[in-house]
Amino acid sequence: MSAKTISYIIKRIILAVITVWVVITVTFFVMHAVPGGPFMGEKAISEAAQKSLEAKYGLDKPLGVQYVTYLKDIVTKFDFGPSLKQRGRTVVGIIGDGMKTSVKLGVIAAVIALVLGVVLGSIAALRRNTILDRVVMVLTTAFVSMPSFIMGSLLLIIFAVKLHVLPANGAAAGGLILPIITLSLSPMAHITRLTRSSMLDVLGQDYIRTARAKGVPYLKIIFGHALKNSLLPVITYFGPMLAYIVTGSLVVEQIFAVPGIGRAFISSITGRDYPMIMGTTIILAALIVVMNLISDILYKIVDPRITLE
Amino acid sequence: MKKKACAMALAGLMTASALAGCGDTNVPAGENGAGTGAAGGATAGGAINVCFGSEPDTLDPALNSAVDGATFLVHLYSGLAKWEQDANGVMQIVPDAATELPEGVENADGTITYTYTLRDGLKWSDGQDVTAGDFIYAWNRAASAELAADYGYMFEVIDGYDEIADVDADGNPVNPDAKLNVQAPDEKTIVVTLYNPVSYWNELLAFPTYFPVREDVVSNEAWATDPSTYVCNGPYKISAWDHNSVITLSKNENYFDADKITMGTINCYLSDDQNNMLTNFKNGDWQFIDDIPTNEIATIKNDYPTEFVVTGQLGTYYVCWNINEDIMPAGSEFANEEYAKAEVRRAISLLFDRNYIVNDIAQGGQLPASSFVAMGLTDADGSQFYKNAGTNSYDGYYDVSADAYTENFNQAVSILKKYYTWDEATQKFTDFPTLTYLYNTSEGHKAIGEYLQNALAGVGITMNLENQEWATFLNTRKNGEYSIARNGWLADYNDPICFLDMWTTNSGNNDVQFGKGAHKNEKSYSMDLTSCGVDIKVDLGTWAETYDVLIDTIKSTTDNETRYKLMHVAEDMLMDTGCITPLYFYTDMYMLDDSVQGFFSNPLGYKYFMYTTVNQ
Repeated sequence: MSAKTISYIIKRIILAVITVWVVITVTFFVMHAVPGGPFMGEKAISEAAQKSLEAKYGLDKPLGVQYVTYLKDIVTKFDFGPSLKQRGRTVVGIIGDGMKTSVKLGVIAAVIALVLGVVLGSIAALRRNTILDRVVMVLTTAFVSMPSFIMGSLLLIIFAVKLHVLPANGAAAGGLILPIITLSLSPMAHITRLTRSSMLDVLGQDYIRTARAKGVPYLKIIFGHALKNSLLPVITYFGPMLAYIVTGSLVVEQIFAVPGIGRAFISSITGRDYPMIMGTTIILAALIVVMNLISDILYKIVDPRITLE
Repeated sequence: MKKKACAMALAGLMTASALAGCGDTNVPAGENGAGTGAAGGATAGGAINVCFGSEPDTLDPALNSAVDGATFLVHLYSGLAKWEQDANGVMQIVPDAATELPEGVENADGTITYTYTLRDGLKWSDGQDVTAGDFIYAWNRAASAELAADYGYMFEVIDGYDEIADVDADGNPVNPDAKLNVQAPDEKTIVVTLYNPVSYWNELLAFPTYFPVREDVVSNEAWATDPSTYVCNGPYKISAWDHNSVITLSKNENYFDADKITMGTINCYLSDDQNNMLTNFKNGDWQFIDDIPTNEIATIKNDYPTEFVVTGQLGTYYVCWNINEDIMPAGSEFANEEYAKAEVRRAISLLFDRNYIVNDIAQGGQLPASSFVAMGLTDADGSQFYKNAGTNSYDGYYDVSADAYTENFNQAVSILKKYYTWDEATQKFTDFPTLTYLYNTSEGHKAIGEYLQNALAGVGITMNLENQEWATFLNTRKNGEYSIARNGWLADYNDPICFLDMWTTNSGNNDVQFGKGAHKNEKSYSMDLTSCGVDIKVDLGTWAETYDVLIDTIKSTTDNETRYKLMHVAEDMLMDTGCITPLYFYTDMYMLDDSVQGFFSNPLGYKYFMYTTVNQ
């Protein structure tokens, strides 16, 4: 790796840290500016109880002091604090539980989307303008444009309610199958279309014609030259996609009752569970920033013509 | 080569994590459905899959204030008393950890002392003995300002609580070492002294906040979040807890009455999505669900006539008015404006067709409400409190029978005509100020808001709808920054006082803003309690001089009949302001599979699965 690349990566990491810090700061102050508090409910607690809780969690101190303490705890101790709603549990513990499921769900869905997408996209490109190509294109258009709540509900009705072959609840055995399919269909369709157009582009290049003219076997042209080069746009898409699948599976988590991070995020906001709001925001922001960074670096590795600076 | 290795490593990593993910499916014991028994044979008596809520905020009995949390706790703990269904299906309070529930002994100073004896051989789930000291520790802990539990005030009836709750001007406790007057002369005896006789005392003993905890267990702040540190003394213990997913309760063999517990394992699935619950019920995976999507109720009633159940609940859905909101025509002046506003609010209440609301909008078997204190709460003689409310021939403060609506409507219009301009041609009022109805975001509340809006539009009153997200809504309503708002109240025990003491000036639930702001100096309330045998008479006093005094009097009155008479006076006064517009009495809806026998629920909405069996 050249010195230039290393200095680029370092620059990007610093930028990533600054991005996350900005997210922390904005979230922290906006969150406290929103009306309502963590200790409000349909039945009000006494003033003494309210004071006692505020003192216990440091919410009685000025906002600026709370902000500095919060940053210090994260940086020095990686301590995201206790949850204000689920008493006795820490933010790290709750996020860890949610991420276990969300990451599992997201990674499997992303891998399925990647593998199927590349295969289908390549087939469609190689069999361009045949029935096969048309079928793939129609299906992928449908999958790309269908929102996940419709797709999820549809799969739920067919496989869980009518056919009884898969459970409707994410906690049951095999319960992650339907959410994984739901989550993977749209990115899979997107990757298929990306691969197809990029493959068609590559197949029209001079070096492919040269390889053919030289008498290189067909499969070797496809796998050795065309496919590799046509994957460039897929790689740029894959990193952020993975982050978005992991962080954005909220709707799917809701439909299938999957205990992921998305549900924890939403309930923390409605319940004004300040440390949980901060924790989930930071983790999700960091994930997106890191995945973007990785995909940029991968891009360089796959395509040496690209210089990072 | 380097590139390839890197790409291979990445691909390998992804596959590995994917595979690791596949193998690690969390299947709780007994997952395979009802009646199949737990995997590994740890428990006998079958299993049931139920869903009565999402991940509980806490399973610490002192901290819990949720109904679904209480359902967990009644399975996990054994307090001095418990709810049980008798042979006729009637719910009653019976002794649990105590051998019996004796009458109290009145002391010379008017306080009353109860003495309880614990059963022999009571054990915690870890095998240690349950002692009287555990109860005393638990009660003092739950009542303490330090713990700041939502339900800390449930101990306000016990001598000594006032000192615990006493705070200085800064809100800090005056005496941080104050304790409840509850003693343990020996390991098996509990002696507790109450300020006054309390008719619902046995109910309090069965309330989760009164359940025992052990000091060494709860000294670990995270004790109630993990099965390995969760020690309880009830029919069940937590054997697995997959957060946000499922909590598995299995029979606690250390429970003194374990032989009577018929269900071996209860898999409590954690979900807050009504549609998901319904799907799982429909496909037979779950035998009980506690929530049903409103728009599915009509279909479900039809498709599952025996499995869809509606029972009573101690609560009222109502609309509250901000008492400081000016609702009179611009530029108008009235000799007694407060009286005029009250009359207008009461008239508007008559414009609403409550039968339409329950039958066509809510659809859950709710009953039209004509009083604030909910159906199910009993009067001094055991009859329904709401039936005795008001002085009319019908139940409550106005007639809610379907055929009375036209008359109510006409009466409302004629009252409103006294204050507003009525246009005969359009049959509408022309100078009623625009109102705004505030509700928290939900399809159900919205539908009701739209109905109210329509009903008012019919007589020319414009009411805009505004919805806010839950926590914002609570804040806005509490601060009185609204004109009319959706509201609801559920009782914690069967005593009308829990619907009445929330309206005192300094109560945290005084959303109407009685005695606050401009209303603080409003001297337009009179009360005469001499007919109830209490020597208090106030002529044209403020809210604090009347209602607050009345509530204090009720709380210190020892004669039961007088107490109930005074509570009727308080509700009369409250309803007279017109600030409370009751719409319906809540019901509890759930679905229970036909294969389940032995299930019951109590009036507070707690569900009991310990005596169930599932027929295959």
